[in-house]
Amino acid sequence: MTMTAVANADAPPIPPGTLEIRNISKAFPNIQALTDVSLDIQPGEILAFIGENGAGKSTLLKIINGDYQPDSGTLSINDQKLTFANPSQAHKAGIRVIYQEPEIVPGVDVAENIWVGELPKRFGMLDRRRLNEMVEQSLVEYGFEGVLPLNLYGDELSSAQRQLVEIMRALKSGVRVLALDEPTSSLTDEEVNRLFSLVRRLRDEGVAIIYVSHRIKEILQLCDRIAVLRDGRLIAVKPAAELTEDEIVRLMVGRKLSDVFQRHPANTGQEVLKVENVYSNWHHGVSFYINTGEVVGFSGLIGAGRSELAKVIFGDLPIISGRIVLDGQDVNIRRPDQAIGKGIGFAPEDRKREGLVLIRSVLENASMAILRQVSRFHFVRNHLEREVVSSYVEKLQIRTPSVDQEVGKLSGGNQQKVVLARWLAAKPKVLILDEPTRGIDVGAKAEIYRLIDNLANQGLGIMFISSELPEILGLSDRIYVMQNGRITGELSGAEATEESILKLAMAEHLSRQDGTPAKSEKDIIQ
Amino acid sequence: MSKEATVQSTPSTNPGGRNDIFKRVIGAIGADNLSLLFALLVLILLITLVSGWFGFQGGDKFFSWQNLMNSLAQAIVIVGLLAIGETVVIIAGALDISVGSIASIGSVVSASVLVGAGTFGVLGLVPEGNMWIAVAAGIIAGCLAGVVNGLIVTVLRVNPIIATLGTLAAFSGVAFLLAADGKPIGVLTQPEFTWLAQGRFLTNAHIPTLGGSKWTGIPVLTVILILVAIFVHILMTYTDFGRAIYAIGGNATAARLAGINLSRVRVLMYVLSGGIAGLAGVLLTARTTSGNPINGTGLELQAITAVFLGGAATAGGKGTVVGTFLAVILVGVLNNGMNLLGFNTFVQRVALGLLLIAAVAISQWRQARAERARTRIAAEA
Repeated sequence: MTMTAVANADAPPIPPGTLEIRNISKAFPNIQALTDVSLDIQPGEILAFIGENGAGKSTLLKIINGDYQPDSGTLSINDQKLTFANPSQAHKAGIRVIYQEPEIVPGVDVAENIWVGELPKRFGMLDRRRLNEMVEQSLVEYGFEGVLPLNLYGDELSSAQRQLVEIMRALKSGVRVLALDEPTSSLTDEEVNRLFSLVRRLRDEGVAIIYVSHRIKEILQLCDRIAVLRDGRLIAVKPAAELTEDEIVRLMVGRKLSDVFQRHPANTGQEVLKVENVYSNWHHGVSFYINTGEVVGFSGLIGAGRSELAKVIFGDLPIISGRIVLDGQDVNIRRPDQAIGKGIGFAPEDRKREGLVLIRSVLENASMAILRQVSRFHFVRNHLEREVVSSYVEKLQIRTPSVDQEVGKLSGGNQQKVVLARWLAAKPKVLILDEPTRGIDVGAKAEIYRLIDNLANQGLGIMFISSELPEILGLSDRIYVMQNGRITGELSGAEATEESILKLAMAEHLSRQDGTPAKSEKDIIQ
Repeated sequence: MSKEATVQSTPSTNPGGRNDIFKRVIGAIGADNLSLLFALLVLILLITLVSGWFGFQGGDKFFSWQNLMNSLAQAIVIVGLLAIGETVVIIAGALDISVGSIASIGSVVSASVLVGAGTFGVLGLVPEGNMWIAVAAGIIAGCLAGVVNGLIVTVLRVNPIIATLGTLAAFSGVAFLLAADGKPIGVLTQPEFTWLAQGRFLTNAHIPTLGGSKWTGIPVLTVILILVAIFVHILMTYTDFGRAIYAIGGNATAARLAGINLSRVRVLMYVLSGGIAGLAGVLLTARTTSGNPINGTGLELQAITAVFLGGAATAGGKGTVVGTFLAVILVGVLNNGMNLLGFNTFVQRVALGLLLIAAVAISQWRQARAERARTRIAAEA
């Protein structure tokens, strides 16, 4: 236990222990995030959590860290039951989760950030010299001297440095279970190496380590055991030595394609949208095309830049260079209303924040993109508007007491249908759907699949962004896979499998080679 | 109000019954506005009846044509106009603090054009003495000030509160620069123009005496206020512009992604608010018989108070011209009552400030309640 060297002298040393996760379940509205997960994490081992987006990794980490409380099941260390009302209780028990963007106090320096809450005092004043000595000593001890200048302020730190601050905080107060959530996504190779040697060293000192990552190679290189999660369930826990890259991908996917919707093959026509060599703040030379009557799936991990690509095409995010050709003509789109005028529709991912004006009616939300068409001399023609909107409400079977109902009072599935009604009414040539089935129930999902199928068969070109592999495979005529702002592969709907997509989505990050740091998930999602 | 009306009456489960009629009446006024009517009623009772029990004098004068038509109906006009313009801006989720200063500009410009004096008037660009040109000049000056506000908010991307706080000061300075050496420009010699403030319609109508005073006709000022209120109400309820304003205030990102051109709508809305403030300035000139650069000072506070009191949401997306109009009357009656009962202007200022805070607090509470209801319903759905 060399940790005591860094630990606060007053705090009793925390003995190592096995974290026992027993029958943990957690549900959120519309989704069962975790079902009956049981797992042990032993002192002196590095255990990987791996799974697709939404497999339950983050939820499990948040329960371990005390951010969430499980609906059922228990956590214990050395047979002692633990319940955490908040993260600081978990910290006291020696459990720490290091998130990608740890909370750092922006206006104070590194040393104070590490010792926040327990600063050394001398005559009631901050003992700056002792503080710096303590921090310096622990940095040297863990091999991070020079990486973290003590005089930097919180808001001047890189993501890597922020994570390091959080790790130092954990070490200082004594830690027996340390979880790292995608720690390497924003690190350089050199930083990754240092982090790995720190992690190994902590393991050898008896800390139980949970390591969450999308990078299978990294996991195989670093971890002792691997736990695979899928749809909120623990699928397998095996020693890393017994697994290969392919086996891990197979375990992560595991679903049969037959239980998902199958697309009726359509007659695809000529090219309706062509994107050539697009560069933006998020993209490095993206090119693709969509034909009329074609559903083109866009797959990739969260943060691959798919939603941003949709917004660049739609004129909502700035394009740096590249061509966008619509129906054979070069277009220069700078604002969403111009995109709509050219025949593009876009149903954004976050319908509450970006798709709908929740406090206004179904009628007003559905007619928003066709206001000009239903107006004469700027006066909205009420009867015409109601007629048009009602016809789509009927066609999409939107369940609402009337078209005057506030949209915020509808269920998620019906809200999504209102967004779709808006775009159907606008009669676009290209429709971009970003995660159209997120957070809606199974019945509504099936209806939306049918609708997408129908629309394509009527000649629309559909850009279909989804993080759910089964629906990408079930609906797409062609699939593009994106990673870090690039298209890493194109697959035909027939030849694609979950394995082939995942491999392209998780191929070792190309961005390493040109020195562009990958953005963290949070950076890109927002 | 018709849109609100349909919303309110749709869930009715008792067609044709007595309840249904009752609900229709409530729907026509708007449920939120009902509480305003109630507050107005209570206030009038306080002034006319209850004050007497506590020994206040003067409450009995409230119900007289002299008071209703001369004091009350005219007093609310200027603030009423500013508040109606402000309603549009607040529904869009923004704010226009500069309306008082724009009114000052409108006041000075109209006087200056009318009598050919002041920095602008002496140029002789437009013929003197024509009242309609003077009125138009005041309104156009207000619109131009609105363009400035709109461009600062959309092109320079300055927060609307800060932007119009800046122009509040700047426009006030412009008003002084436009006046003759910073001094007021008198228009006493222009009876045609001052008719705007002193004129009466329907003076010969046979209306019975009320509270011991005879019918004196409806002030031209009041008619102008009502016409502007109807105009803006139609704009907000029946046009694509009104739709865009409500959408932007409710969720600007969603509105933008649905093809609403945020910049254009925001500039237009500041032009509308500025133009109406310019008109208010013109009427101030007519009423005070001088184009005075301090004419509009401080009016923005009363206008904003009335809008929030009228049920507009501080976060935007909610509010009606009808609500604002009722709130303007409420504030007018409050001031009028305090005048009648002999409270001095300092007390009135305290009351106005407290009223603004109370109005916003109520608005916040309503928003929180609506938010809770939405989450509950969404969770059950």
